[in-house]
Order: sequence, then structure tokens, then C-alpha cells
Amino acid sequence: MTAGTIWRCWLTLMLLLAATTASAFVPLGSLNLPVSLAIAVAKALIVLIFFMELRASRPLVRSFAAAGFFWLLIMIVLTGADYWHRNDTRAPIDEMPLPSR
Amino acid sequence: MSDRVLGIQYSTLAQERETVTLGMWAFLATEVLFFGALIAAYLNYRIWFGAEFIAAASLTKVALGTANTAVLLTSSACMAMAVITFDAGSKRAPVLWLAATALLGLAFVGIKGTEWFLEYQEHLVPALNFDLPRYGGIAEIFFIFYFCATGLHALHLLIGISLVSWLAWRIGTGRLQPGGSTTRLIGLYWHFVDIVWIFLFPLIYLAGRNM
Repeated sequence: MTAGTIWRCWLTLMLLLAATTASAFVPLGSLNLPVSLAIAVAKALIVLIFFMELRASRPLVRSFAAAGFFWLLIMIVLTGADYWHRNDTRAPIDEMPLPSR
Repeated sequence: MSDRVLGIQYSTLAQERETVTLGMWAFLATEVLFFGALIAAYLNYRIWFGAEFIAAASLTKVALGTANTAVLLTSSACMAMAVITFDAGSKRAPVLWLAATALLGLAFVGIKGTEWFLEYQEHLVPALNFDLPRYGGIAEIFFIFYFCATGLHALHLLIGISLVSWLAWRIGTGRLQPGGSTTRLIGLYWHFVDIVWIFLFPLIYLAGRNM
């Protein structure tokens, strides 16, 4: 990695930061979250590939780097498969009357 | 001890380098899941509670948060500069880049502390002075997430600042010679803490800005 690469990455990161903050003030409805997360993924990939040198790493190191994010994806998707499709936010115990003293 | 001594379990320097790099990534994978659980909880709350949760997020200080993101991204670039100048055999440059990295890290913690103080003044700190009648229970859940996430991140950053300062001292006094992996490994940790913030930033500061 050269100093030129590092500062080009830095400039791109700054532009992406400006873009994500600006996008938050544009009313996109439910698209605001996916847009800001997509920009976050782009920023993280720049840091991972260049600053953390995954570009020059062996496949074994890359697979270790990917493993953490892959398991995180499983955790989020499977948790969401339950919680994001519930119609009520209350557990049955919340509906029970309080015991009288 | 200024001469590099190869660990007894390694046959070559390249093998040592590969092994310790892999070990660091295994540790970082556990850290991904550590912070990831918090982010999963945030996504559940956000989808469950909807507008009220998102409105609570808009009580955070977006200008300070954006400035802090710029500070941390710049610190990562300085860390990367420290690694390449150290590998190139320079004596002074890596110390200066590491000092810049640590100072930017301290600036981040300073700005974060300012935000926490402002939030304390606005009675937004759960368990300490949260104004429940004014903000509501769902806002309190957001701020519990907020203080857990930013507090744990700041703790990681303070550990990083300590490591970077120690590294600068070791290189500056000639105790650490190029060829080893210490600088790169501490760099990996620093960049990881940066990545955590890259994801916390939109979730905390950018939600509910156009409601």
C-alpha cells in the first residue's frame, strides 16, 4: 500500500461521510435506513480491503475476516425472522391483570 | 531488547506473520459479534417501536457525531501511514503518525464526552436523570442502547489509544525494529474500532432527521 492509496481512500471516505449525512435530511421514507447502511458498508469495505490489507492477504485470512460478518448476518436475519414479523409488541404476561393486594 | 527474536514455535518470520495475523482476525470476529448483538437489538427495537424510537434518535447531536466520524476516519488513515512508514524503515515518521493517531483518538473521546455532558444537561441519561414524562419510555430504551453502544465503543478506543501510545514510545526509543507484526496488529485493532463506529454512526445520528 502506498501513501497515495491511503489518502485517496481517506478522500473517498470523507465524500461518503458527506453523502450519508446529506442523505439523512432527504425524505426517502423507509429507504433512508437502507441508503445509510449501504454507504456504511461501502466505507467499511474501503477500511477492510485497503487499511486492513485484506487485498494483499491470503484467502485463509480473508475467510477469517468474512466469518465474523457472516455469523453476524445469520444472527440478525434469524432474530429478525421472528421479531420483525410479530404483530404485537407485548408478551402474553403483559396482558395479565396485576395481582390485587 | 532491540533484536527481533523469532518465537520458538515458528520456523520463518513469514510463518509467524501469517499466524499472528490470523489470530488477530479470529479475535476481531468475536468483536464483530460482540458489537453485532447490540446492533441486532437496535434493529429489532427500531422495527418494533417505529416512529417513536426513530424520533428519540433525532435528539442526538448530528453535527458533533459527523465531526467525530471524520476525526476517526482520519485517525485510521494516520494509522495506515504509521504502518507503511514503519515497514519502510523510517525512524521518525511512524512515531509522528502514531502520535497523530492517538491525538485524533483523544479528540474523538473529548467530543464524545461533550455530547454525553450535553445529554446529561438535557436529562437524557437513563438510570441517572432521564426525564421519563417528557421523553417517554421508548426514548429511554433508545438512550439505553445509545449509552451502551457509545460507552463500549469509547472503551475500545481508550484501549486503542493506550496501545498506540505504547507503540509510539517503543518505536521512538528504538525498542521495536521493523520486520515484526506488532504495528500491523495494533493497526488492525484500530481500524476495527473505526468500522464499529462506521455502523453506529448512521444508526444513532442519522435516524429521524427528516421527520
